[in-house]
Amino acid sequence: MEPIGIFILAMLCQVYSCAANVSDSVERMQYASVAGDEYLQEEKLETNLDDKVYFDFDKSTLDAEDKNLLEQYLPEIKKAKIVRLEGHCDERGTREYNLALGERRALEVRDFLVVKGVSGKKIRVVSFGEEKPLKNASNEKAWAENRRVEISLY
Amino acid sequence: MIRFFTLLFFLVSNSIFTILEIEILKGSDNLSKVAFVPFGAEEGFEEDYGEQISRYVEKNMLLFGEFENLDKSEMLSYPSSENDFFYRDWKVLGVDYSVIGKVNSVNALGNLNISYFLFNINRRIKILEGEIIGNEDNIEDISKIISNRIYEQITGLRGIFDTKLAYVVNSDADTYQMCISDIDGKNEQILFTSKAPIMSPDWSPDRKKIAYVSFENGLAEIFIQDLQSGKRDSIQALGMTNSAPVWSPDGKSLALVVSFSGNPDIFLYSINSKRLIRLTNHYGIDTEPSWSPDSKKIIFTSDRSGSPQLYEINTKSKRKKRLTRDGNYNARGRYFPDGKSIFFVHGNDGNFQIATKKLSSRYIETLTSTSLDESPTISPNGNIIIYATKDGSNGYLGGITLDGKSRFSLPVKNGSVREPAWSPLLN
Amino acid sequence: MNRTLTSLNTFFLVLLFLSLIFSMFSVPNLNIDEKQSIKINFYELIQQDELLFDSPASNTLIKKETKKTSAINEKINADETSIISKFKINKLDLKNEITKIKLSKEREDILRVSVIIQERISSIWIKPNSLSESLIAKVLINLAPSGEILNFSLIEPSSNTSFNESILTAMNKITFVEEVLSLERKLFEQNFRNFNLVFKSSGEIE
Repeated sequence: MEPIGIFILAMLCQVYSCAANVSDSVERMQYASVAGDEYLQEEKLETNLDDKVYFDFDKSTLDAEDKNLLEQYLPEIKKAKIVRLEGHCDERGTREYNLALGERRALEVRDFLVVKGVSGKKIRVVSFGEEKPLKNASNEKAWAENRRVEISLY
Repeated sequence: MIRFFTLLFFLVSNSIFTILEIEILKGSDNLSKVAFVPFGAEEGFEEDYGEQISRYVEKNMLLFGEFENLDKSEMLSYPSSENDFFYRDWKVLGVDYSVIGKVNSVNALGNLNISYFLFNINRRIKILEGEIIGNEDNIEDISKIISNRIYEQITGLRGIFDTKLAYVVNSDADTYQMCISDIDGKNEQILFTSKAPIMSPDWSPDRKKIAYVSFENGLAEIFIQDLQSGKRDSIQALGMTNSAPVWSPDGKSLALVVSFSGNPDIFLYSINSKRLIRLTNHYGIDTEPSWSPDSKKIIFTSDRSGSPQLYEINTKSKRKKRLTRDGNYNARGRYFPDGKSIFFVHGNDGNFQIATKKLSSRYIETLTSTSLDESPTISPNGNIIIYATKDGSNGYLGGITLDGKSRFSLPVKNGSVREPAWSPLLN
Repeated sequence: MNRTLTSLNTFFLVLLFLSLIFSMFSVPNLNIDEKQSIKINFYELIQQDELLFDSPASNTLIKKETKKTSAINEKINADETSIISKFKINKLDLKNEITKIKLSKEREDILRVSVIIQERISSIWIKPNSLSESLIAKVLINLAPSGEILNFSLIEPSSNTSFNESILTAMNKITFVEEVLSLERKLFEQNFRNFNLVFKSSGEIE
């Protein structure tokens, strides 16, 4: 009798804590999992596609070339468990604004994927603003390469 | 009858008493010349404390190019008290102010009694006299206090020689450091080292804590670090980006930016209760908040008009007002300590420069002429702006005095320096 | 009793009226500002009108003639006769025109010296920085005809101590205003014997 009682108590506690978690915003959980580097536990999937989408200065819109690339990604994405989108900017302008701009770029890509049928739950969005440039020079070429969203699949 | 009488009287007196008046609207571009006379010292000291103190004071006062100094070799005399002081000796050298003093030992424990005097040579009067008790071990700190007092007497502004600067150093691709140092770059302390980027440092009003953004957990997260204990507290990952923390003038809350579901907005976060109160609610980017000195308003950047511009929101009424219209990029706004003007980053034809604007006027004044300037911070006396800029691929800190007379750059560190934040005054 | 009072009243009124007329005949006073615009006060305008009707009075304005002005006068007299003979112009009108030219030359002299003084003071006044308020201070200067500054005083200090002290420091740096030596004595006495310097801070960030 006793072990069953303890078992039921344990189940109740479990249910209660689950409920408490669910009452947090779902989105909160989604980003908290990024913070926990959960994606690193998975293996990164290699594709032979260019894993970057590029943008114009102070813009976050996708052009035809970008959309084309993303279309090509779709089959790979459907296979992957997690799609990580990392938004970046070039060094011009202020850092915090660029942090937001990088986020917006990554979200544009996310929205495109969602429209194309990818489940939102799979997608993780992070922005690094201008903090992680690919090229450290201060010229148009370097800037163009830094204005990007990087796609990684796990 | 009486009215006619008085009118006539008025007309007559007006004509009798009119006098030529010449208006002087501009001042000189020159700097005041100050002579820092080596302080006299008692015999028998191990080191020449008198010479050391006057040298530190001189270095401090010359830090931002606000004064010219007289070379010691040109001095005609080395007075250390009022009795030995002759204005003639200094007037003939074109000196405007002279600083003299004397160091006396108090006891065998290394305690010192330092007396100092400041003279206005043109007016031939002593304008400051003071005494400080210190120790052989803290000569530099004493010198900072003396520098502050002399600076205040000459300029009417608070001295800032004992304030500090916080900044981020990126020494290589994988190393980021949150640092603080004295205003002259000495006594650098590394508060936090990380493999991931660090951004946006901000001092608490009591100078005991610094808030900053760290990407150590894979996303932008706000941390508050206690300078005394080194303890770091995170404001928990609330949204997908949590950034731009700025302390309120009373130190009880932070204004910050949280992006829930991809829309960055400004929030107020209470340190004690940990409550978050929403301040802006717009689908555009709202970021870079900063408090007005009277806590009534917060300036922020928003691209709701199509491009980044500065806005102001009243913290009580939540009413918003647009502050900038010139140019298509105005961001990272901050208030001057007197609350009457703002300074910010102004984008102009692809060049990003530091600019100022009086709140009561439309006109923007650009302060810098380099092209990748950002993160300006102002001295607590409102006189100097330090900002981050680049030379090739290396970041360094530049500065300018608000009267435009002096431009300078801070000594280069091992790595790219950015995001300077000037500490408040020690009250 | 009443009658003496009324007559006394009228006497004073007449006296005041006369002094008003008299004051109108003094050399016009000028306010010089940085943009070098001259504000002509209303007395000068009246004076010009007066001149059109009363030419002899205008000659009393210039008592002492320096070499320069006498040369000009000679030349003007020569031109006068030639122009008159050529165009048969009314001599009175011409004289009035010439007087106006002499007047504007005086104004020019005052302006010239004022601008030099303004520039000299500006070059030695080290203004305190970052004053975000609009400030005004007035200094009264007493000059000797030699140009020596006999005395200066801050008759209207501003609300900011550093601003005031910077002005006093600047004033202590000059002892002579040599430029006034180039002026006619009368011009000097009426304008530069005692004059004000008005120091202003615009409150703008420089």
